[in-house]
Amino acid sequence: MPKAIELRNFSYSYPDGTATLSDVTLSIDHGQRVALIGPNGAGKSTLLLAMAGFVKGRGKVFIDGLEINRKNLKKIRMLLGSCLENPDDQLFMPRLFDDIAFGPLNMGLEAEQVKARVADALQTVGLTDMADKAPHHLSAGQKRAAAIATILSMAPKIITLDEPDANLDPRNRNNLIKLLTGLSQTLIIATCNMNFAGEIADRAVLLDKGCIIADGAAKKIMSDSELMTEHGLEVPAELKEENKTSLKRK
Amino acid sequence: MHHAHIDKFAYQDSLIHRLDCRIKFMVLLVFTAVVISLPRTSPGILTCYAIGPFTILVWAKIPLRFVFKHILLVSPFVVVLALSCPLYDKTPVTVAFGPIIWQSSLGWMRCFTILAKFIVTMSALIALVSTTRFNDLLTGLQRLGVPKLLTVQLGFLYRYIFVLIDRTHRMLRARAGRKLRNLGFKAELKIAAAMLGSLLVRSIDNAEHTNIAMQARGFDGNWRTISKLQIHRADYVFATAAAFFLLVLHFFVKPVVL
Repeated sequence: MPKAIELRNFSYSYPDGTATLSDVTLSIDHGQRVALIGPNGAGKSTLLLAMAGFVKGRGKVFIDGLEINRKNLKKIRMLLGSCLENPDDQLFMPRLFDDIAFGPLNMGLEAEQVKARVADALQTVGLTDMADKAPHHLSAGQKRAAAIATILSMAPKIITLDEPDANLDPRNRNNLIKLLTGLSQTLIIATCNMNFAGEIADRAVLLDKGCIIADGAAKKIMSDSELMTEHGLEVPAELKEENKTSLKRK
Repeated sequence: MHHAHIDKFAYQDSLIHRLDCRIKFMVLLVFTAVVISLPRTSPGILTCYAIGPFTILVWAKIPLRFVFKHILLVSPFVVVLALSCPLYDKTPVTVAFGPIIWQSSLGWMRCFTILAKFIVTMSALIALVSTTRFNDLLTGLQRLGVPKLLTVQLGFLYRYIFVLIDRTHRMLRARAGRKLRNLGFKAELKIAAAMLGSLLVRSIDNAEHTNIAMQARGFDGNWRTISKLQIHRADYVFATAAAFFLLVLHFFVKPVVL
């Protein structure tokens, strides 16, 4: 079975020559929930854009066995859904229904199928009564959920989310965690919030200065306080407690 | 941030709200053309024409305070134009409003006609946008043959104007927080230019991200939407009533050319 995502020696530099990703090799299996962690400017967002074929660099990127190139791009868009950091960029239609229907319509589905997909996506994110609302009438938490619904309606196998917990209060963050942990798709989440990453991911990839520094079980990487501090991150509160308890036991 | 939306009553439910937006739009178009093409006329005639939009507004339960507030908001340009008329045309005329007759000048009559036509047509426009969801209006315009490029641009404008307003407010607040003394006109102008530049750059950045979001969902240049517009019997009744109203005014209420 092909890997959900595979990057082989992928490098990317901005037009001014600044290297953003250097020789990144990474493979992610289907069904995994991966947290891309790293400080600001580490290259997390660029890596997500590379996975969706929005930045073209050196090296190769495969999505479900398909190499990203012009010929495969439409199929890849249907396999991998990208959710951007700012929901206002993601929600561009005057009505939420049309925003969620936008992807399925572009996939060539019939009107009835599209309506069913929109209804399912709205139900999954808990916005059933909001279909006719304009996005600027939604709260920050609702906008975030709606942005995810725009991806879910396309029923992709893989979902990438860029800082999905940004600007969310604890209640909305918990709702988002519930929503994401309930999804069966492969998830790749770029975040600086270790508590959030620790709640969702089973694997963590630590990225800094465009290079992969560590890759492994989320708990193992995120509980390494030395590694986390060295790269401007912190150990999640839950793991700190666990560390303290195990030290006391010893 | 909370915004006072022009279409904030469009989500209510009434017989007028349920009418097909294409019919409402066509009625508005014809009504506006008729009112604008009226010759300089007496106050009574224009009051008769005002009955149409105001009946719709009251029927759709749109607060008249909201209507007048929005008319006032867009009135400055027209008011300046209208108030300049009495300055250059002082020809005396006799004006009648029912049994009341008084002397005035042609300039003042022109001023009144411009203002009254503006109020009547604006109230009709507000009646349309307050009883029609913006999205339905865009779909209706598309179905009436307005180019898709234009309706898509209008859709983006409606979606992002509030984002831009919020961003501007935040920048102004940040500026006010650090501006501790009067900087003088030149410095203020420099700051305003820098702020505008920043807004422009961030808008371009936004547009790029939105383009990514659209492409990520398979956008290939063809704009696809599900249209649920349908013309019912009530729409035909409304169109007939509107036509009847305009015909009655046209044939039985003759404008007095001053």
